[in-house]
Amino acid sequence: MLVSWWYLYLGAQSLYRHGKTDACLRFKCRLIGDERERYVRDRVYVGHVFVHISGGVSLLNMASVLQKLITPLFSGPVEPPRNKVTVVGVGQVGMACAVSILLRDLVDELALVDVIEDKLKGEMMDLQHGSLFLKTPKIVSGKDYSVTANSRIVVVTAGVRQQEGESRLNLVQRNVNIFKHIIPQIVRHSPNCILIVVSNPVDVLTYVTWKLSGLPKHRVIGSGTNLDSARFRYLMAERLGIHPSSFNGWILGEHGDSSVPVWSGTNVAGVSLQKLNPEIGKDTDRENWKETHKKVVDSAYEVIRLKGYTNWAIGLSVADLTESLMKNLNRVHPVSTMVKGMYGIGDEVYLSLPCVLNSAGVGSVINMTLTSDEVSQLKKSADMLWHIQKDLKDL
Amino acid sequence: MKEKKRWMRRGKSTAAALKMASTKEKLIAHVSKEEPAGPTNKVTVVGVGMVGMAAAISILLKDLTDELALVDVMEDKLKGEAMDLQHGSLFLKTHKIVADKDYSVTANSKVVVVTAGARQQEGESRLNLVQRNVNIFKFIIPNIIKYSPNCILLVVSNPVDILTYVAWKLSGLPRNRVIGSGTNLDSARFRYLMGEKLGIHPSSCHGWVIGEHGDSSVPVWSGVNVAGVSLQGLNPDMGTEKDKEDWKSVHKMVVDSAYEVIKLKGYTSWAIGMSVADLCESILKNLRKCHPVSALVKGMHGVNDEVFLSVPCILGNSGLTDVVHMTLKPDEEKQLVKSAETLWGVQKELTL
Repeated sequence: MLVSWWYLYLGAQSLYRHGKTDACLRFKCRLIGDERERYVRDRVYVGHVFVHISGGVSLLNMASVLQKLITPLFSGPVEPPRNKVTVVGVGQVGMACAVSILLRDLVDELALVDVIEDKLKGEMMDLQHGSLFLKTPKIVSGKDYSVTANSRIVVVTAGVRQQEGESRLNLVQRNVNIFKHIIPQIVRHSPNCILIVVSNPVDVLTYVTWKLSGLPKHRVIGSGTNLDSARFRYLMAERLGIHPSSFNGWILGEHGDSSVPVWSGTNVAGVSLQKLNPEIGKDTDRENWKETHKKVVDSAYEVIRLKGYTNWAIGLSVADLTESLMKNLNRVHPVSTMVKGMYGIGDEVYLSLPCVLNSAGVGSVINMTLTSDEVSQLKKSADMLWHIQKDLKDL
Repeated sequence: MKEKKRWMRRGKSTAAALKMASTKEKLIAHVSKEEPAGPTNKVTVVGVGMVGMAAAISILLKDLTDELALVDVMEDKLKGEAMDLQHGSLFLKTHKIVADKDYSVTANSKVVVVTAGARQQEGESRLNLVQRNVNIFKFIIPNIIKYSPNCILLVVSNPVDILTYVAWKLSGLPRNRVIGSGTNLDSARFRYLMGEKLGIHPSSCHGWVIGEHGDSSVPVWSGVNVAGVSLQGLNPDMGTEKDKEDWKSVHKMVVDSAYEVIKLKGYTSWAIGMSVADLCESILKNLRKCHPVSALVKGMHGVNDEVFLSVPCILGNSGLTDVVHMTLKPDEEKQLVKSAETLWGVQKELTL
């Protein structure tokens, strides 16, 4: 039977004008076409519709331009987001990650979470106001983790930041306590997500996150030395006069002071720099390429000294990881992953190795050919991390 | 690491010579005799506060430019921001990011985005910032013009309409090359809120907010449409007090939203940054897209003073080349004239 929406609308409108919210409307409408065969009596159908107006005035008012303008063709339940990312923590790093992800058109929904409610709402509104220029139709935020439901990727940037001169390891216990609150809630609302941990010290906190979340190890990733490698490639490329993406070089291991540059792997167009300069990376090197790695380690402290924090580079590197994960690219990135059993490491620690990232998380790990020196550096980092991790309480 | 002298490199391929050559020389053979041309799409951002950096990152992520220059007076912050952006070079397609207190780094810019100046405090209106910002501009603008005499100036600092006038006067540039970001952001906010109300993406909701950027901006209700269907045609009361759907509050929310975001997070940055990148895109790519930006409106809509107000303008390589003449209602025109009078009242007191 064809119920004329127009009649329904008129009836509802008259209800509204009379200040009633509930009624039974008796209406007549003319039958057309094959309906005549079905409802024989006369060619008029008389029926009753029970109408309830909820939301009062505004709902009916809203319906009028909207209803005149748009004819709905299909109304079913709202589809869940397919490419949702949550960013936990709306400080400088979190917002840089958020903006980089938005401007790269990676997501159809972005959720922001933090404890400072005003700042959170302000940041959400500011991003929403840019919606015209973006292709992310839904940006939500809330102190409550329910806004994060159904995320594919959750970027955790929450935590206290390094003060000038403070090493990353000093931040540990402060950040562990924050994570004890955050991680279980994330996993509750997005049990199938991939967690990217950015907060420092990233390797320890990725381990903490893995323990607190109960997720399988391939779904917990630390941003690790992705940023160090990006800085390394930038600085090396500057020296050679080429674009960073054409210079290949990997920094692995611990994100921070004891990261390991793999000199044997540095190359441009497959031409190994170490073959051209066997002394590369050593103290005996006349060209002092080792200094470039030192600059990478120092650069975080330098930028913090100059502007108080670092955010743009880490934001761009997180967006890069997100792209590989979201689009199932199987690209190789140096990120922090569980390395127990590799390179003679017997403890459960997270260190950065070249990982193949796809939509399941860490698909596989590339076996780098490392010199014994480099392996021993990794082992030393692993020992130091385990030394800190074993003292952490309530994991 | 000293590179070996030229006479040792040229022509000689003995083992000894090769051993002395640096890694770079062994790796890369320089073949081109010509020096590469200078930047073709250089953008300078003056002021590395929240707005300046949001504009910078939006411009970088949209791959609009081959060289980005940053200028500010605070040297540490400036260097830190430049380093941070440079560290992200792997992920970007802008090969050169430079920064200095000295304006020589801005040479040969195509577009200069001026975000420098004092910012609105909570509850402070934009007009209060005027004189503070005029003094800052007296230093900035001549320096910019000295190094980029053919640039297009995009003024973002508030109060934007007055400061665009100030920039125009101080720079001596023709009127097509001085643009104020104006109500590009107000219109974006309006379209976002309209989209929320209708359940449609903002880019499919069309609505123009023109006039003064700020409390007395003018929403042109007759132009509000989706797919060419005029919403005012469906709801003739739209924008008036008797409108049951209260569309007027949408415009009110646009005006209040800046104050709201400032109250919540201390400043606004992302939306204005993205809107600046949108304008830069039209200019650098010569798109000739129509944007509501601040232009000299003397002689239009009954305005007789030399003031800058936002009207729909065509933006391209040469800047602001054309203005779309909107058919405004008498009371909308009256509002524009009134804004013009207020602005002129402030402008004529300024010492330039």
